[in-house]
Amino acid sequence: MKYSYAWLKDLSGTKKTPAQIANMINMRAFELEETKKIGNDTQLNFNILPNRAHDTLSHVGLAREICAIDGKLLKSEKIINLSNFNDRQSLKHDGLQVAIRENYLCPRYIGAVIENIKVSASPKWLQQRLIVCGIKPINNIVDITNYIMLETGQPLHAFDIKKTTGNVIVRKARRDERIKLLDEKVYELNENNLLIADSEKPLALAGVMGGLDSSVSKKTKTIILESANFNATNIRKTRTALGIQTESSYRFEREIDPNLAEIGAARAIELLKKYGGKNVKVTALNDVYPKKIKPWAIKLDSNYVKSLLGEKIPVAKMKNILENLGINVKVAKNILNCEIPIRRIDLKTQEDLIEEIGRIYGYENIKEQAPTVKVKTPLQNAKRDFENKLRDVLTGLGFSEVMNYSFYGTEDIAKCNLKIEDHVEVANPMNPEQQYMRTTLIPGLIKNVKLNLKYFDKFSIFEIGHVYSKKEEKTILAGVLVNTKEKNQFFKLKGELRALFNKLNIPNTKYEILDTRYEFWNPVRTAEIKIGNISIGKIGELNPAIVKYRTAAFEIDVEKLLKMSAREKLYHPISKFPTVRRDISMFIPINITYAKIESEIKKSGGELVKGIELFDTFKNSLALRLKIGSDAKTLTSAEIDAAMKKIIAALEKKLKVKVRK
Amino acid sequence: MLQNKVSEIKEKSTDEIKTSQSERELYAIQVKYLGRKGKLTAILKGLKDLPADKRREIGPIANEARNAIKHLIAERKKELSEQIDWEKERIDVTLPGKRQEIGHLHPITLVQRDIEQIFTSMGFEIADGPEIETEWYNFDALNVPPDHPARDMQDTFWLKSEKEKLVLRTHTSPVQIRHMQKNKPPIRIIVPGRVFRNEATDANHEHTFYQFEGLMVDDDISAANFRSVMKIFFENFFEQKVELRLRPSYFPFTEPSFEIDMNCLVCGEKGCSACKQSGWLEIAGAGMVNQKIFAAAGYLKNRYQGFAFGGSIDRLTMMKYKINDIRLFHSGDLRFIKQF
Repeated sequence: MKYSYAWLKDLSGTKKTPAQIANMINMRAFELEETKKIGNDTQLNFNILPNRAHDTLSHVGLAREICAIDGKLLKSEKIINLSNFNDRQSLKHDGLQVAIRENYLCPRYIGAVIENIKVSASPKWLQQRLIVCGIKPINNIVDITNYIMLETGQPLHAFDIKKTTGNVIVRKARRDERIKLLDEKVYELNENNLLIADSEKPLALAGVMGGLDSSVSKKTKTIILESANFNATNIRKTRTALGIQTESSYRFEREIDPNLAEIGAARAIELLKKYGGKNVKVTALNDVYPKKIKPWAIKLDSNYVKSLLGEKIPVAKMKNILENLGINVKVAKNILNCEIPIRRIDLKTQEDLIEEIGRIYGYENIKEQAPTVKVKTPLQNAKRDFENKLRDVLTGLGFSEVMNYSFYGTEDIAKCNLKIEDHVEVANPMNPEQQYMRTTLIPGLIKNVKLNLKYFDKFSIFEIGHVYSKKEEKTILAGVLVNTKEKNQFFKLKGELRALFNKLNIPNTKYEILDTRYEFWNPVRTAEIKIGNISIGKIGELNPAIVKYRTAAFEIDVEKLLKMSAREKLYHPISKFPTVRRDISMFIPINITYAKIESEIKKSGGELVKGIELFDTFKNSLALRLKIGSDAKTLTSAEIDAAMKKIIAALEKKLKVKVRK
Repeated sequence: MLQNKVSEIKEKSTDEIKTSQSERELYAIQVKYLGRKGKLTAILKGLKDLPADKRREIGPIANEARNAIKHLIAERKKELSEQIDWEKERIDVTLPGKRQEIGHLHPITLVQRDIEQIFTSMGFEIADGPEIETEWYNFDALNVPPDHPARDMQDTFWLKSEKEKLVLRTHTSPVQIRHMQKNKPPIRIIVPGRVFRNEATDANHEHTFYQFEGLMVDDDISAANFRSVMKIFFENFFEQKVELRLRPSYFPFTEPSFEIDMNCLVCGEKGCSACKQSGWLEIAGAGMVNQKIFAAAGYLKNRYQGFAFGGSIDRLTMMKYKINDIRLFHSGDLRFIKQF
């Protein structure tokens, strides 16, 4: 809210400069937005916290804060002169009939009939204050209602009595009822909206905006002044549904004190008598307040104050701080019995009061104190440690880390051959490109590839992030490898994954030909990665129809991988006996994979096969280098030959491979 | 006489062999002394013309000299063959190294690791939670009332779901509840993670960003303890002395609530564009855990005390590396990432 420094100074009696006030409120109450010099005055703009809108969206409210921080009680409670109001007993209630049909939505309604009004310009000083607070002066009646709102926090409204049937009914709107408001727009209402009406028609949208047809004009002689209290939630719902925001709804939707209604009415009558025309007279006043709210009590334990703040504040100091905020305090030993004024709707618990003491005392006066705790080593987060290890190994292999959004759009889903029905949908996306929660990291990485190809012709990137399905949320590791100059990236990536798995102590991984759900994968260059019988992810090239250059990619379930790598490393003694190398090259039939050959060699060669290395491939021929040896002795050349013979025979017989001799 | 001649040959040849610089030169020396017409060969050849006693005297000496020279030549030859030609060896060491790719971690990861490492060294555990949250964990359990503006469509991403209402978590605070439901005090956790806000993106705002949440609960944890832990953290993080100040704030899940400001390290509190001329930067929100939160997590009310805080990892990363546009974090642009 925008405050006038001059006004605050008048009310609080402070001698501080605008800069000092700004700093003091910033540190003890509300964040300073900005200060601005306007004429002779200074506008101070503070961001009033949502739980304090009840009592400080007004100059009186903020002046009370200034006094409390200065260690004083606000003296100018004197502006709240209820004498004009207290003579209401002498006024006939039936001069203005007020009927509240919805007590819950309208806890209090004060209506006053005021005669001999002369609509004109308001005094210059009053106009000036409105301008400093960012409100445009209109005429004396409107300006006075606005002035009182800025001063006390109570929104007011004035109706021209001639344009009404002379009475007030507070009721719910009927379905399809319409009203033209002061903004000259027609609004269609329903039963959720609260109206101020007369016997015939709606006069105003309660607490939000007045109706155009019942508004004060230059010809107005007699007004009905409204000073009421409305239910915060209902005002909020109405104004959001209709898309209206006014100074009035801003205050009501934050819930204000019903006592303010009488303070506002009293002040308005006082000012209208002064500036509303000669011989201004109140002829009727009706205050309907069926369920009076009473102050409530909180027992505050001073030891709890000290314990929660960690500072030994004397009890007398606590009492003083609370009293300056308008709280009645009676001390009994270590207990402060507090009576809370009803404007402080936010004060409900001991902690609420401790906050008041803490902030006025000054948080900077609370000395730092290291906590006393039992010594213990924190539990390791195994998953986080594992993710970090993945990151370290991958960067060692030349991969850089990216982070992509958790969303993508229908276009990505279509392009990557995914199914919309597999996706969790955002009900209110920022834009169509962010309508669905990702089920895979690859579409994001594809975007990264496209961007980076503008600047690099060779790169590797990875991401660790969540993917979401209707059933679960998983952590996924995915990566891509791009090199515009290479025709085949698959084996480079496969080799890098092998290095990764080796470093993570993951035992034999298997790569099986993928035969379902190709999605964005190249159908003939993709494999499922398995450990034992468990599939942990996929590796392959991306479908060339989606990415122009040969791009190899992998996607792995991090939690599954973590489970597989949990084993401890164990040392295998280094063999004392030599191994020999034997090369074999062969022609292989079209349906025989390398995996089959390798497993046949291991099967037929048994324990003597200490290593198999592919060293050449050409069309349908392979050349392998085998390491043959024994852990028990040095093999004779006859024994080696016999082993090789057995292997070759098995390959030829079982796999129809032609070994070159 | 002849004896002197042999020893003179031996001496001279030894000298020549030792100073010879190439195999060719060495060969010439060999020919000169041991060749068919060589000086020593001549003496050896002349032995047969000498009287027997003289022959017995000179013979062994001359033979010994021949062997010695042969040996020296062989030795020198080996030496010369092992000698390195430094001229041929010479390279231009200022030429660039061969290109070797090393990967780079995302700056958010680097800062998150720093945060985790500092807090774990203070005995905090790292806790995690889901990014898709129920309305209850994200709002109700944290005392955010049903008509709070944060529950508006404008601020929160809601998900279409058939059963309970789901949101993309707007903060890491739901993990406080999840952790307390499963653990009893003393509690010390740090929760870094991705959060979402439904707001327009610009250089300073992102709908997807990273928070770090902290929670410490025990019998008598105080605001004074909180100030101490924050100070240790930020001084370790920025590797220098920092000033912190707490200002009053409001969060439904803490009471009292604080805003934490740190003195601007860019200008040293003089006022600059980074701190909007104020000399201070807002770096985290915090407070003493609201007793309603303990109740929601299943603890007895007013049995424990604790503090909770939440800060933006993105903001700390931007401060640390002087990054001026938050959108770079999710750009996937390697020209950005390769700088870290």
